[in-house]
Amino acid sequence: MICEHCKQRHASVTVTKVQNGQAVAKHYCEHCASKFHPFQTDIQEEPVALHQLISNWFGVPMWKSTQTEEKKATQSTCPSCGFTYRQFLKQGKFGCTECYNTFRDQLPPVLSRLQAGTSHTGKSVVISMEQLKQKIEEIRQQMQHAIAEERFEDAAKMRDEIKSIQHKLDAGGVDV
Amino acid sequence: MNIEHFLKHAPKCVVESGEHSDIVMTTRIRLARNIANIRFPLSFSQQEANGVQEKLMKALLTPQEQLNFSYFKMADLSQLERQLLVEKHLISPYLAKHKEVSAVFLSSDESTSVMINEEDHLRIQVLSPGMQLMETYEYASELDDRLGKQVSYAYDEQFGYLTSCPTNVGTGLRASIMMHLPALTMSKQMNVLIQMMTRLGMVVRGIYGEGSENLGNIYQISNQVTLGKSEREILEELQKVVEQIIEKERNARKKLLERAQVTLDDRVNRALGTLRYARVLTSEEAASCLSSVRLGVDLKLIQGISPSCLNECVMLIQPGFVQQYAGTMLDAVDRDIYRAKYVREKLDNDSLITGEKGEETYDV
Ligand SMILES: [Zn+2]
Ligand SMILES: [Zn+2]
Repeated sequence: MICEHCKQRHASVTVTKVQNGQAVAKHYCEHCASKFHPFQTDIQEEPVALHQLISNWFGVPMWKSTQTEEKKATQSTCPSCGFTYRQFLKQGKFGCTECYNTFRDQLPPVLSRLQAGTSHTGKSVVISMEQLKQKIEEIRQQMQHAIAEERFEDAAKMRDEIKSIQHKLDAGGVDV
Repeated sequence: MNIEHFLKHAPKCVVESGEHSDIVMTTRIRLARNIANIRFPLSFSQQEANGVQEKLMKALLTPQEQLNFSYFKMADLSQLERQLLVEKHLISPYLAKHKEVSAVFLSSDESTSVMINEEDHLRIQVLSPGMQLMETYEYASELDDRLGKQVSYAYDEQFGYLTSCPTNVGTGLRASIMMHLPALTMSKQMNVLIQMMTRLGMVVRGIYGEGSENLGNIYQISNQVTLGKSEREILEELQKVVEQIIEKERNARKKLLERAQVTLDDRVNRALGTLRYARVLTSEEAASCLSSVRLGVDLKLIQGISPSCLNECVMLIQPGFVQQYAGTMLDAVDRDIYRAKYVREKLDNDSLITGEKGEETYDV
């Protein structure tokens, strides 16, 4: 099969787009396919409004949603990097970790198109020494409160907790 | 260790052999990580970029790690030095391009690189010879955990390790197997197989980057999915697919030998003749001849040439290495002349080394 775009090279990549709720298979060569990142679309071939093309990719039926919903979806802006949801769809990248929180509700449909699921099932993160230190500081403050309120039994528990975390820290963050 | 150490030769993992190394050249594991509370390279400031570099220097130049790692800022390297690191697959083209903010830690055996401020703050990469998916992953994962104690990773209970591109989120794991598949390519089975692998969630590419498709009949097969599957599932699925391809390539080689031994024998020895005697060699012709000779060596139609020398040549025929060999800037015509000379020398040296052994095993 010949690439549908350059009509020269052999088509080795099959891209499935969702258009108006229907799956359409497109065949491209490796070279052209690399240019059609799942977030970019072949505008020359299909002169449709850009936002509709993007929403077609993800099957997010933006044109069907009520005006307020659409506004909410496209106007939310990441407070940390200033990315809008529309910008994310256009570039296909997040600007910072806070983007994930800002667009959290909109992400599952996007992710389920790219990925095998929408939740992480792999390895968990280790806790850094910095985070252990923060944790000690938090407990220490709670302990001060407990002492001030004469909850000495609670305070003693917290002191032991601090000790065990400190122990971990001294061992270089290794679980002991 | 200074940068010269990392520029002269092909990396060990390319020259050494591992499991199935007649077909599988290398295994590569890459983990994408970011540091909490610092914006991704796409939108961070130069100050944040420097902050990431400093944090990682503290983490990787500790007494335990520093013996192993050397640190290079991309901005401190020349264009050619960066290109050589790319051609050796020690860094990505993206890292070399964003030199104002990027840096790399390289282990002295060149098996491990930690790229700083690529598309993500950290890209941990481990390369191994042959097929070693689990072992290579374990090694990368241990380094990942050691680093994770020194710096706080950006991690989300639902989405896992957070990355700039949603195609990496979750495990941040990209596992790639580089395979030499001459018989499947010759017998025109690759297109069907590529479609099958794509359906199974794999990505198939050529080795010399985009657009090079199957130059030298070398294919890189990697997992596409990073979220919704565990690392083990991802690796096992890739392993299964690759094992199937290995078997198909072995069968295709057997059939070629059975049905067209003379034609094949002629073809691989002609290729050897070209490599030994050509005075002008384009990278396409070099890659194609190296592939044929390698097949000849694997099928014992050619003796006295080591697979490691051929693996090395596959890397050395790239423009940066040819330029380094020539010691001067080259235009395309001169490059083809020096490439021919370089390959000729490498094969002659190899015969000197393997010569005696070659004679002993000559009577088949
Ligand atoms: Zn094309
Ligand atoms: Zn953001």
